[in-house]
Amino acid sequence: MKTISKVLKKDHLKSLLRKLAKDRQLVAPVRNSYGDTLFTEIEALDGVEIDLDNQAQSSLKSFLFPQQQVLFEYSTDQGSAPVYKAIDSDGPTVFFGLRSCDLAAILYMDVIFLKEVKDPYYRQKRENNILISIGCNEPFSNCFCRQTKSGPFMEYGFDLQLTDLGDRFFVETGRAQGEEIIQQWAHFFSPASKEDEKAQYQMRLEAQGNFKRQVLVDLAIRKLKDDLVPEEVWSKLSSRCQDCGGCAYICPTCTCFTINDRKISTDSGERIRTWDACTFAGFTTMAGGHNPVDMKQNRMKRRFMHKLYYDVKSHNRTSCVGCGRCVDMCFGGVDIIKFINMVGQGEI
Amino acid sequence: MDSLPFVDVMASSTSHVGKSDMKSFEYTFQAEITNVYPLTATEKLYQIQLIDPAERQRFTFKPGQFVMLELPGIGEAPFSISSSPIRHGDLELCIRGVGNMTNFLAKVPRGTKVGISGPFGTSFPVGKMYAQDIMLIAGGLGLVPLRAPIAAVLENRSRYGNIDIVYGARNPAELLFTYQYDMWRQFDIDLSIIVDQGDDAWDGPVGLITSILAQRIAAARDMKKNTYAIVCGPPVMFKFVCDMLMKAELPMQKIFVSLERRMHCGRGKCCRCNIGSTYTCLEGPVFDYWTVMNLKEAI
Repeated sequence: MKTISKVLKKDHLKSLLRKLAKDRQLVAPVRNSYGDTLFTEIEALDGVEIDLDNQAQSSLKSFLFPQQQVLFEYSTDQGSAPVYKAIDSDGPTVFFGLRSCDLAAILYMDVIFLKEVKDPYYRQKRENNILISIGCNEPFSNCFCRQTKSGPFMEYGFDLQLTDLGDRFFVETGRAQGEEIIQQWAHFFSPASKEDEKAQYQMRLEAQGNFKRQVLVDLAIRKLKDDLVPEEVWSKLSSRCQDCGGCAYICPTCTCFTINDRKISTDSGERIRTWDACTFAGFTTMAGGHNPVDMKQNRMKRRFMHKLYYDVKSHNRTSCVGCGRCVDMCFGGVDIIKFINMVGQGEI
Repeated sequence: MDSLPFVDVMASSTSHVGKSDMKSFEYTFQAEITNVYPLTATEKLYQIQLIDPAERQRFTFKPGQFVMLELPGIGEAPFSISSSPIRHGDLELCIRGVGNMTNFLAKVPRGTKVGISGPFGTSFPVGKMYAQDIMLIAGGLGLVPLRAPIAAVLENRSRYGNIDIVYGARNPAELLFTYQYDMWRQFDIDLSIIVDQGDDAWDGPVGLITSILAQRIAAARDMKKNTYAIVCGPPVMFKFVCDMLMKAELPMQKIFVSLERRMHCGRGKCCRCNIGSTYTCLEGPVFDYWTVMNLKEAI
């Protein structure tokens, strides 16, 4: 599809969002009263500060794959079948202000949930979405999306991608829905001039050089593939792991879950699925008490290998999108950047 | 930015998700526990029948596959089927009471309604084994998934060569399916049983399964050409038994093992049963030994 390029004045942004939010839900990074920036569902745009200067601390994972989701309800009356919850799609939702890493994470979740056996619960939340992403001119302190090939700007997957050019946004379309937005609310957009295109190109080039950390992802993948990682790397890192699971919960691509039944009353209940984390000992322990992934060290290995090697093998991409959220999250300092560089540089 | 492979999954699947999609994803057959037989102090054999006769007849599986058994309000767990495939939706599951769900199951009466979904996973290729000798090696509860291929083989007994069952258990009280041993022997099956610890009534051999396996291997025809092996047991057993089979020159691709992993979804999503990038629920639980050797930390 040919990309359409437009320019959107920053003054027009809120008006455009207001139009989009009229018959849709709007989710955007909002700075709350505690000073945290989180992706939030916006009821009314007035008095809300959409924060595009900081990285949102949460990802969009919980909107598409909620931390706790009721799959269906059932009653245990003799012979009655479970009552499946209506699976009408969630109303159309606009996700505004997601970064390239967030977008890459959604594309990864699409593969996990929708390839081969399609997961209807994910799908009902995923369809009817409009994704308006914004490229990162100035990557944040722990970002390394350039090395995971998921940023700082994306080439596809978005409906609209914005580039901040000071007083205006450069707007590109990626999918048909984005084009429709531009056509429907054409009065907000003006045609992109040659200068705008040049400025955007310049911005993208500069962004590549603005990364603050050097993370040797490709090198690490190669070493993991050839199994050149000494055991000491795992044992050294895992000795600092506190088993909190924070890394997996904050990760935009960690989609492990567990399924439980919860009783509502004596003869009815519901089945829920909840986020889980592969760093927990109970994650793989079997009924007899045997755990094939028995030590903390092996669980950590399993997690990092999954992110950086197994997914390269099976889906041709790392499931680490380089957002750096787990680096901020881990108070034991078992961060993926440290790991990648330890492996990449071969220092223990 | 260089290319990140992009699969536009949303665009490629245009049809709307209907309620039927949801049903097929979560589709559970209504079933009923028709009989419960205690086998040992902890294991029981549950006969479970799909309630709808048409569904019962349509339900087909292959030996080695597993089903998800659902107890409303308690949970859902995978169990390998230990009945013959020709019995379709008249299933038999042998279950040890160890956890929340299985201990609850041990207490439910006959006639309890349960849910069955599946069958899932890969199976033992008994059809490929015609005219060959088969060596079935089970340790402890490993006999449970092996009972389906044993039944399948018995039904076509004349098509196969010699059949050896080598079964090891901790003590005579833990032996499963004892009532069937005579029947198996009548079908010209060499059944050798060994226990780690005998008791007063036990007059069979005592020791490790490998000692009795060595005898059976010595008695076998040319292993390299004529034999298939099916192995299931506790994790420690696999390595010793498979090493022994390979020393007897049995090719790796003719050894089949059934691996156990914790599973929650059975559809390759919950990311629990994977060994490396291989999902036991989709690509297993039955693997040939060649594949297992190439999966790190599989056994």
